[in-house]
Amino acid sequence: MHKRSSVVLIAITAIGAAFTPSISHAATTSPRRIISLSPSATEDLFAIGAGKQVVAVDNLSNYPANAPITKLDAFTPNVEAIAKYKPDLVVLQSSATKAVTVKAALEKLKIKVFFEVTPSDINGAYTEIQALGTATGKGVQATKVITAMKTAIAQAITSGKRSNPTAIFHEVDSTLYSATSKTFIGHVYSDFNTLNIADAADTADSFGYPQLTNEYLLKANPQVIFLGDEQKISQVASRAGWSRIEAVAKKQIFALPADIPSRWGPRLVDFYQFVAKSLMSIK
Amino acid sequence: MRGEKQEDSAQIQGISPIWNWRTTFICAALLLLVGLLAISFGPIHLHFGEIIKTLLGMHGGLSGQDRTVLIDLRLPRALLAALVGAALATSGAVYQSVFRNPLADPYLLGAASGAGLGATIAITNAHGDVYSLLPIFSFIGGTLAVLTSFFISGKFFAEPQSLLLSGIAVGSFATAIQTYLQQRHSSSLRPVYSWILGELTVANWQIVTWSSIYILISLGVLISISKQLDGLMLSDEESFSLGINPNRLRMIAVAAATLATATAVSASGLIGFVGIVVPHLVRGITHRVTNRNLLTVALAGAAFLVLADLGARTLLSPAELPIGVITAFVGAPFFLVVLRRRRTL
Repeated sequence: MHKRSSVVLIAITAIGAAFTPSISHAATTSPRRIISLSPSATEDLFAIGAGKQVVAVDNLSNYPANAPITKLDAFTPNVEAIAKYKPDLVVLQSSATKAVTVKAALEKLKIKVFFEVTPSDINGAYTEIQALGTATGKGVQATKVITAMKTAIAQAITSGKRSNPTAIFHEVDSTLYSATSKTFIGHVYSDFNTLNIADAADTADSFGYPQLTNEYLLKANPQVIFLGDEQKISQVASRAGWSRIEAVAKKQIFALPADIPSRWGPRLVDFYQFVAKSLMSIK
Repeated sequence: MRGEKQEDSAQIQGISPIWNWRTTFICAALLLLVGLLAISFGPIHLHFGEIIKTLLGMHGGLSGQDRTVLIDLRLPRALLAALVGAALATSGAVYQSVFRNPLADPYLLGAASGAGLGATIAITNAHGDVYSLLPIFSFIGGTLAVLTSFFISGKFFAEPQSLLLSGIAVGSFATAIQTYLQQRHSSSLRPVYSWILGELTVANWQIVTWSSIYILISLGVLISISKQLDGLMLSDEESFSLGINPNRLRMIAVAAATLATATAVSASGLIGFVGIVVPHLVRGITHRVTNRNLLTVALAGAAFLVLADLGARTLLSPAELPIGVITAFVGAPFFLVVLRRRRTL
């Protein structure tokens, strides 16, 4: 269930037409009571040192551990429950149910809204961190965080980059949804000079997240499999017919840590480093 | 038992002008009560006395953010719930007598599936603010589906069963396309799903205003013809002898009920079982044929949905429980009881 919803989450957010986060009113004084209804924004806020200004985060914002997690729901935001915390800034995902109406209702209550549109690539993620910095009075720290991320990611790419193209499969969920190179997740893999087997299966309707079939997978024969759905490697390896896949035969299946592939915050560094380490270990 | 006998004789005589005013009054009082409950409860604590003062426009009422919470968040939501509840319950009662089928509901002629298709088309094709287009699309979808059912059945009401069957066929067809679209656009699963379960979240005055126009007009028409509708319980020949043109009457009744249903659906998604539970409940309490109690049914439906919505937004607060889950949770067991009693009758 959790994984299903995360496919949908990733996919929904990928359709966003505009990629720059916008803030509804120009910030005059720094907000002191922030509510983040986005796990990625929560990670951003704490990384740029605005954590002390955050009074509540949604029920999926499980990182960092000291984030004030509440039962607030990010997908069906309850305006009144949000207002109860007397926030002066709310980070709202554009993919939330009736996001535009929720935003209008919050603004009617004189609460500023940071409207977060899911970025389509890493530059969008940097833009969001910088925008959150500006909105919270932590612009300088935000720039520092971005610089550090860029350095660490560049190092990871240098160490893990393949000299000859390697076929990879990223599993979004166990019903074989995958992510093509044009998605945020796919960009990470293509930075390492890999061939994404999902690319050929992409259609206009799949928005970069096509559902593959067992047969397609056997035919494409990926050399490396990345599990983004917290499946057990042994279970994946024992799926019917999968023993013929090169990645399975050579035991080149890697399970990504929870939440890493679905967040576009500072832990993107972890994502790049995990992929680098995995690719360095293959034959 | 004696009550049933009386009801039977009332049915045979057709148009005795009995109205159970007491039940109507009780339902109105109940609606007022649950309405007050609904606007009094929420995550933010508002002083009850101040709520009343604000509503009556007296001095010493709520101000600032609290006032906005009451006027712009709670009040439109309770009103929309009442409107939708009244529309669904009344349409359900009318469909049940038009089709002489106690299990008929407002979605029978494809209104729900058609509206679902319209909503899915809006969600899968629109970028950005989906929810401004959604009501229009689902309204058009629902109305088109019912019109198609009429068109296909051809003979209109010469035989209600044929309309019923074509409604089911059109509904299945619309559902098939809707499911296909939904599968092709996996990204839209979540919004489509939450719409199908029904939602009154962030209702605003704009939605309340336009839906109240259509719903109140339809309800006015239905309540004004409610006496004649009872004549439909008789055979068509007998109705004629009472001076009723059964086909024309059915036509007007179904058109008005469909308009009310399509509006309700486009404002709040698919909320099931209200159209079955409430008419049967009122019938059970009053021991009278439904149509003479249409106003009572409307009031009871409004009260039922306002209460269900209060549950939807408080039971799991701050998360929202889809209101369709609550109405079905109460409705499904009730539906089974009706079925069971019908079998033993």
